[in-house]
Amino acid sequence: MADLKALEHPTLKVPYEVLNKKFRSAQKNIDREVSHVQVTMSDVDRCLQNQPVTVREMSMVLDGVVEKLNILKRKAVESIQDESESALVCKRRVEHLKEYDKLQGSAVNQWRKKRLDRMIVDYFLRAGYYNTAIKLARHSGIEDLTNIELFLVSKEVEESLEKKETAKCLTWCHDNKSKLRKMKSTLEFNLRTQEFIELIRNNRRVDAVKHARKYFNNLEESQMMDVQRVMGLLAFPVDTSISPYQELLDPNRWNHLVQQFRNENFKLHQLNNTSVFVVSLQAGLSALKTPHCYKDECGERNPNCPVCSPHLNDLAKTLPFAHCAQSKLICQISGRPLNEHNPPLMLPNGYVYGYNSLVEMANNNDGRVVCPRTKEIYKLDECEKVFVM
Amino acid sequence: MDACQAVEREVDKVLSKFNSLEQQTTKTLSDLISSIQGIQAELDSVPEDTEISTAQTILLAQNSRKIKDAVSKVSTEHKDLHSSVSKVGKAVDRNFPSDFSAVINEEALKGEQKAKLINEVICEHFLRQGMLDIAEELMHESHLNIDESQKEPFLELHRILDGLKHRNLEPAIGWAHTNRAALQSQNSSLEFKLHRLKFISLLLEGPESQQKALLYAKNFAPFAYSNPRDVQILMGSLLFIRQGIQNSPYAFLLDPVQWDEICDVFTRDACALLGLSVESPLSVGVQAGCTALPPLLNIKQVMQQRQCTGVWSAKDELPVEIDLGPERRYHSIFACPILRQQSNDSNPPSRLICGHVISRDALNKLANANKVKCPYCPVEMSPGDVKEIRF
Repeated sequence: MADLKALEHPTLKVPYEVLNKKFRSAQKNIDREVSHVQVTMSDVDRCLQNQPVTVREMSMVLDGVVEKLNILKRKAVESIQDESESALVCKRRVEHLKEYDKLQGSAVNQWRKKRLDRMIVDYFLRAGYYNTAIKLARHSGIEDLTNIELFLVSKEVEESLEKKETAKCLTWCHDNKSKLRKMKSTLEFNLRTQEFIELIRNNRRVDAVKHARKYFNNLEESQMMDVQRVMGLLAFPVDTSISPYQELLDPNRWNHLVQQFRNENFKLHQLNNTSVFVVSLQAGLSALKTPHCYKDECGERNPNCPVCSPHLNDLAKTLPFAHCAQSKLICQISGRPLNEHNPPLMLPNGYVYGYNSLVEMANNNDGRVVCPRTKEIYKLDECEKVFVM
Repeated sequence: MDACQAVEREVDKVLSKFNSLEQQTTKTLSDLISSIQGIQAELDSVPEDTEISTAQTILLAQNSRKIKDAVSKVSTEHKDLHSSVSKVGKAVDRNFPSDFSAVINEEALKGEQKAKLINEVICEHFLRQGMLDIAEELMHESHLNIDESQKEPFLELHRILDGLKHRNLEPAIGWAHTNRAALQSQNSSLEFKLHRLKFISLLLEGPESQQKALLYAKNFAPFAYSNPRDVQILMGSLLFIRQGIQNSPYAFLLDPVQWDEICDVFTRDACALLGLSVESPLSVGVQAGCTALPPLLNIKQVMQQRQCTGVWSAKDELPVEIDLGPERRYHSIFACPILRQQSNDSNPPSRLICGHVISRDALNKLANANKVKCPYCPVEMSPGDVKEIRF
């Protein structure tokens, strides 16, 4: 079950991050309502000090208290239920993972198939193929086990950035302000810079200066260079060919923003930049890759070997080969392992096949065997034993 | 499994704490509300313009303090849960590693070209499973163009296989008939097995279908030489059609396992015919990765402790051997037992006259004055007698 441990970090960590975020916003909600109650209670105290107080006045103040207490009660219950909900998501995923240990036979394969689908959904979401991801998740019934919701939020932001709008992304930055600050994210600054550049592009230079005054006034030392460069843009026409101002005006910067947003979003939820799918595929291809997969001679490639299949063959080209300190031999004819139950036999031309396959061939063929690779024909008794340590 | 349990324990703790907090908060706040409402009721009982009495003032002041304390307690109690919540996160981090950067090369599968290849592989994987709509959606979203002609074989295979799963033999028989020559050249008994199952299902229909079954038996003619024994058995079963095959010595013909088997045989033979792998290469590859990653992560840890990082960079080979099981061996790999190295074209395996195999480099090292002694047995020979072999 070591593979569970190695692969499932994002499955559990993302719902935890959601829970954590909900916890913090719940705390904020409760604190706010608590302070409201405190304020009305101070009203009561003040009322009591201003002797004499009529019953009517007091009654009104108390109405306020009851109202606030009710709001606090409602908000507190709602928030806590919300938190429990996210904790339950976490629990459901743990339970799904735990099933893997208990399953047997074909159920294990079903579970693994689901895992592959989960990985592919994650890969699709990262690549931005949202509809395919949702369809696949629905088809395999794994909506609960994948982080679709998280990515749907980012989908909206990304789409708005592609339309060259910053509002949604800025709201997102605001929602995750404290964490982004901890990560020392430059996303918000870059968004503001981009807004500045767009103002220049539309020749609204006065507005640009106003914009700069508003947003570039409390930046860190390290960002001063960037600000100076951007401000320099004020002096140049939109179609300038002078570096670095030409680059600043490049519409491609929007794509960089999308990319940066994606990365920050991953970091925020403790996701790796590489999906588990790509990691596993890479490790798997390496573990399967042999020099034989890249030989063009007849019979060297095996149609069942994933690395020999055309696309994966290309993909695996730059990956390392499997390590092999012990011989692992199989019979080319049957694909079965060569061992004491199926000892290797050498034909006079030097090609080695399994005993079982050669005997079967000889029985159907008057004691003669045909080498499948060279088509030479020999008698079975010409074959010699081979011992591999 | 411990990993899951550790996380589950923390999650359970958090859940039960949320639960009791919810109950407690509701109770505290309800109590406060009802105590205020009690005072209000008392106030309501006197005319509105009366001043409140000293006793009531004291009561209100007391309540005010009580409420202030109680509500700030609600807030602190919720805050106290933070440590339990963050323990979940710590349990996840402690038990599930998240950093693959040292075991894989993150750049290796990046870039547009590679992404396109991956998408094609995934698309094929879906086509293979007959998940046509998902494959189409992927092609649409990733701007992938896959030829109709490439899709066709997968779709046909899937249609036939679907039929077989619902015990409908017709499409499969039709396909096997069209491809009879090719199937025979790879020694496939698929067509015979299909006819056999069709015959058995006719037998099951009872005595009224006897005539039909007999007529159908003509289909066995082309296979009389290759499967004489099977044909005899099938014909023999006709004797028992009246009293029911179930109660005859031929009851084994009705074993439902045969339907699972025919699906496997069909997949295997049809894939071989089309030059496809039996299993989806993608799922085999990823499954291999799931097996390979834990040992790779382990070796990473060891290497980091000994301060030799970069598992991948050292050689063009994985740092450890990964056993994927016998059914995942697709090529013969000969590792020289003397040099502990994989053989290759310039260093091929060589068979000594006694039958033991070592690599040619090892042989050259062992050769002494035109004589070589086998490292495993007392035989001596001249290096010229050694034969290069291929697995």
